[in-house]
Amino acid sequence: MAGDVLVLAEHFGGSLGDITFELLGMGKTLAGEFGGTCTVALIGGSDAMAEELGGADLVLRLGGEELADFNPEPYGEALLAAIEAKAPRVVLIGYTSMGMDLASTLAVKTGRNLASSCIRVEGGERITTTSQLYGGKMDVRSDLGTAPCILSVLAGSAPADAGRHDGAPTVENLDLPATAGRVRFKRFIEPEAGDVDITAQDILVAIGRGIGSKDDIEVAEELAEALDAAVAATRPIVDAGWLPKTRQVGKSGLKVKPKVYLALGVSGAPEHLEGMKGAATIIAVNTDKNAPIFNVAHYGLVEDLFEVCEELTEALEDR
Amino acid sequence: MDMTVLLKRVPDLVEDLEVDDSGKALDEDSVSLKLNEFDDHALEEALLLKEGGGGTVTVIALDGEDVDKMLYTALAKGADRALKVMGGDPDGGNQALAGIFVAALDGHGGDLILTGVQAADDRDGQLAPRVGALLGRPCIEVVTEVNPGDGKVTVHKELAGGVVAEYEVDLPAVLGIQAARQTPRYAPVSRVRQIQESATIDTVTSAATEGAGFTVVAMTPPETGEGAQMLDGVDELVKVLDAKGVI
Amino acid sequence: MLSSAERVAFILLVLVCSALAFKGFARMVKIVRRGRAAQRSDNLICRFAEAFIDIALQRPIFKARPVASFFHALIFFGFSFYVLVNVNDLLEAFVDGWSTIGGGPIASLFNLASDLLSMAVLVGMVFFLIRRFVVKPKVLTFNPSVKLHPAVAAGGLRKDSLIVGIFILMHVGSRWLGTALHLAENGHSDPWLPTASAASHLFAGLSPAALDTGVHVCWWLAMGLIVLFLPYFPRSKHLHLMVAPVNLALDRRSPRGLMDAVSDVASPGAKTLTDLPWPQLLDSYACIMCNRCQEACPAHTSGTPLSPAALEINKRYTLTDHAAELASGASAPNLLDAATSVDAVWSCTTCYACVRVCPVGNEPMMDLLNIRRDLMMDGAAPDELAEVLRSLDEKGNSFGDSPRKRARWSKPLDFKIKNANKEPCEFLWYVGDFASYNPDCQEVSRTVARILTAAGIDFGILYEKERSAGNDVRRTGEEGLFESLAEQNAAALEACEFERIFTTDPHTFNALKNEYGPYGERYQSIEHYSTLLLELLENGSLKVGKRLGGRATYHDPCYLGRYNGGFDAPRRVIEACGVELLEMPRNRENSFCCGAGGGRIWMKDHDDMTERPSENRIREALELGAIDSFVVACPKDLTMYRDAVKTSGNEGKIVVKDIADFVAEAMELG
Ligand SMILES: Cc1cc2nc3c(=O)[nH]c(=O)nc-3n(C[C@H](O)[C@H](O)[C@H](O)COP(=O)(O)OP(=O)(O)OC[C@H]3O[C@@H](n4cnc5c(N)ncnc54)[C@H](O)[C@@H]3O)c2cc1C
Ligand code: SF4
Ligand code: SF4
Repeated sequence: MAGDVLVLAEHFGGSLGDITFELLGMGKTLAGEFGGTCTVALIGGSDAMAEELGGADLVLRLGGEELADFNPEPYGEALLAAIEAKAPRVVLIGYTSMGMDLASTLAVKTGRNLASSCIRVEGGERITTTSQLYGGKMDVRSDLGTAPCILSVLAGSAPADAGRHDGAPTVENLDLPATAGRVRFKRFIEPEAGDVDITAQDILVAIGRGIGSKDDIEVAEELAEALDAAVAATRPIVDAGWLPKTRQVGKSGLKVKPKVYLALGVSGAPEHLEGMKGAATIIAVNTDKNAPIFNVAHYGLVEDLFEVCEELTEALEDR
Repeated sequence: MDMTVLLKRVPDLVEDLEVDDSGKALDEDSVSLKLNEFDDHALEEALLLKEGGGGTVTVIALDGEDVDKMLYTALAKGADRALKVMGGDPDGGNQALAGIFVAALDGHGGDLILTGVQAADDRDGQLAPRVGALLGRPCIEVVTEVNPGDGKVTVHKELAGGVVAEYEVDLPAVLGIQAARQTPRYAPVSRVRQIQESATIDTVTSAATEGAGFTVVAMTPPETGEGAQMLDGVDELVKVLDAKGVI
Repeated sequence: MLSSAERVAFILLVLVCSALAFKGFARMVKIVRRGRAAQRSDNLICRFAEAFIDIALQRPIFKARPVASFFHALIFFGFSFYVLVNVNDLLEAFVDGWSTIGGGPIASLFNLASDLLSMAVLVGMVFFLIRRFVVKPKVLTFNPSVKLHPAVAAGGLRKDSLIVGIFILMHVGSRWLGTALHLAENGHSDPWLPTASAASHLFAGLSPAALDTGVHVCWWLAMGLIVLFLPYFPRSKHLHLMVAPVNLALDRRSPRGLMDAVSDVASPGAKTLTDLPWPQLLDSYACIMCNRCQEACPAHTSGTPLSPAALEINKRYTLTDHAAELASGASAPNLLDAATSVDAVWSCTTCYACVRVCPVGNEPMMDLLNIRRDLMMDGAAPDELAEVLRSLDEKGNSFGDSPRKRARWSKPLDFKIKNANKEPCEFLWYVGDFASYNPDCQEVSRTVARILTAAGIDFGILYEKERSAGNDVRRTGEEGLFESLAEQNAAALEACEFERIFTTDPHTFNALKNEYGPYGERYQSIEHYSTLLLELLENGSLKVGKRLGGRATYHDPCYLGRYNGGFDAPRRVIEACGVELLEMPRNRENSFCCGAGGGRIWMKDHDDMTERPSENRIREALELGAIDSFVVACPKDLTMYRDAVKTSGNEGKIVVKDIADFVAEAMELG
């Protein structure tokens, strides 16, 4: 069944987010299956952004500078106008903070079906999606049939590279519809400088007593820097005064849910697990192959943590 | 400010969830339901707003097992009124649920409707923006702070990487709460038991509404084996990190 | 002896001072009566008789600090005798010719006693003054973050101690000196007054007139002073000599492990001083401010802002400050403003050590529990605690884990444990939260299951129907949740057929034994597994073939030992396995808490904590020298001490074991 795909571009601070390219890659595949085109709706974007969207068959631009900062109301109206103008079979929106404001609203306004938390989308005669629900404990496959739909897709579901193509895409401008102005953007608040909020990190390098001494924490810090991550710790490390309490994960510390939790020399005591078992991916490095951390870890490495740190830091710096 | 908090019960994730014989739904015997944690935060934020600037808080939920206790707990925490909707399908998805709640609230719901930013079983979008769209009110998701103003609220919306965007939103509005300004308060059972004696829960009958227009065809636990997948060396570790898109 | 003018002056002084003192005491009684109701007035005669005997034998005070207690005994016996001495001195003053000197045998014995006991008091008092003002032991100081009444912070206790000390020295010293002068006046020494006679020689050169003046001055200093001191009594720590006996007589007679029932459901705890039950107000008047409770307190020892002594002292100073208003019904200050801090309230492990050790029968812990009830009703629990309570309410366990997984620990066993909900069993095993959910404790649970199976015991467990027994829930002040848990457990237990019930968890043991009364009689017969193991060892059901050897020390869990007297069974089990048992200095009634009780295990360590109680205890064990194992009989202890061995850097030096581990080893089970 023929049909087009419309992808919502997401940008912040003047540059496009990875999710845009992930969706674009996904959208192109889908459009290929439909024998249709893949359009990116760029709301409030810049010329430079448009140029990065070479992978799209068409970049539909709505508004410019004045909409640089996300605002759900005008963005919603603009995306609605884009959907009405292009009547795509599938609209792809990220399951992100911005996307969450838009997808459900548009589903109601357009009367389309909406499947959320998608990690896979299969096109063809009917559209089938796989959503990751129940805290990642169940994959739910849904049949959306042949009707036009909106899909909200989890970040990291598809490689961003597939959507990255330089080149001069065809650009079409669409007038912005008027909005009621009931939502007014005021400002961005950057995270406070000073100590890191480990609950807000995508990647955590967590160290346990395997690290041995205060001076060796440096090794973990270097790795964290290379990974653009923060260092977290088990209680004994904090007790020893090697790191502040704000870095402690676990029962008596903080609960964290990063994308990747790299546990170095952490035994995996239940009091610690309590604080981090919700992490999307847990990678454990421990010299003891029977350490309980390996029961909750998704990936394990039975090796000396110092060797791993060193090699990994080097490998990352080489990239 | 008159506020309504929409409460929804979701499967407790500490259970080992299992799929039933149909292969399309959770095995009920493996499920125990609890209040969606984000809804608890929504209630907390509403209570904080009430304590800060006055007003009322109404809580509403679909009928079901232990729902009375959940509503009494909300009353014990400081909500003024509890409303229970009879006869709605708790598994009908958010599209249906949004319709039911909007009908039960007579298309109103006061100045501000708050609910959790998401729930573990959201398969057809989120409740807050759906209710917002049905009522024609602005909605903001992922809210971490609400400050009342004159006919408006100022909210903090969390974006990626710890950045927060601040918006001013005219009332009436709908908010999807990520986190209240403080940890949701604990309602001591002693107090809940007292409230049970003195307070009443109002009931309304559910309106028939349209559910999700698509069906679940299969439910499976994600494919990861028991225990960790053992890697052989740092090279493989790099590959994993790459695949997770974090480097 | 006294002139008429002196006699009139003395009588006037007595009248004025008694009136003033009476006012003070009357206020005190009024204030104490403002406290909430408590049942302490049964068997009054018996109560006072028992208290009298205890005090006469100085039993309450010899529970700790033997040296100081000895010197206290000197003062106590001296002062007690001085009641007679004072009566005699009044007679001497008002009845012309009355004198014991040179009298018959009774008078002589009286003289001898008064002479020696005067010395005893003086020696004792000098000891205490040197202790407080020269030696200044650390136990008399408070942790920096302990909340203190401004007057206490400004050194009020030292001032009061000094006044009391000088009063005693003057009163007894003058009386003794008077006797010496009297002897000098009469120109001879008396063998029945050895020390006074020795001193009388010093005055040999004085004129009779000077000696007579001296006798009068000494009489006034001894007797006038005591009268003058009367109005000061209600303001002073010295009041303990009157209130302590009353407090001891009116002490709690219910089991230690049974918390008072809530008297007012709408306000179950104590917000203000007068919300406390009256015996707790009386406590503050009885307090001698000795800090023994603080010394025994694991919370204070570990550096937190909790001092049970400061609590009583602050209460006392506040009541004294506001005595007039309070006696006339004015609203009382908030406990959290006047007596203690929120952090202190949540630092208590409910170990009962303070109550146990207090020489005057005070119960500082009960105040803390009352404040917790009040805070809890206001929903003001620390966040981490609130989360655990929510989990206990929703899931019945403190681990936030699924109730369905409660019996998962039993899966690796190669036999299936009976489901007591479905079939009758002789023994019902109440497993408890930690033994069910904590991996280390699960290992011990499996060991216990194997031992019982090997002994051919018919036992079952409640599987997913078991909930936390609620012992510590109740001690966080969450009365409603405790009730709800107890109701659920009782309902599950009611539906089961069993003959005996036992538990591996001392906290559960305490709750069922002492607090499940309203839910059924038979829970009171619950046994701790140490008793059961001992029984099976003694009746030969358990055959321990191997003598294990090695040296171990045993830690008494508060809720088994101090609360319920379960001291011997675990020790005998250890010894039955052929292990040599060494006692730590703090054992049995004086055992030092691991720090986990009263919900502490669910809360964060206080920022001021310098050394965890569990680490302090491990240090104590290691100071015994060559021991291999640190033995526990409580699942919470197992986790606390395994953790403490690690965090104190003592891994490899000592192994934390459960008594069941020894039994299994001695039985040579798999
Ligand atoms: C009431 C309570 C609350 C608690 N709260 C918390 C909490 O909030 N957070 C917390 O973390 N803990 C908490 N604990 C402590 C917890 O029980 C554990 O003691 C702690 O988590 C262990 O920390 P660890 O893994 O760093 O140390 P260990 O258990 O000592 O583990 C060290 C690990 O490092 C490995 N290792 C050693 N050298 C190397 C090397 N060179 N390379 C690789 N691996 C190596 C070892 O094999 C071992 O597995 C709590 C305990 C209690 C009793
Ligand atoms: S019960 Fe124990 S922890 Fe609490 S105040 Fe008394 S001695 Fe301290
Ligand atoms: S409460 Fe008892 S132990 Fe504590 S200071 Fe007072 S008298 Fe001493």
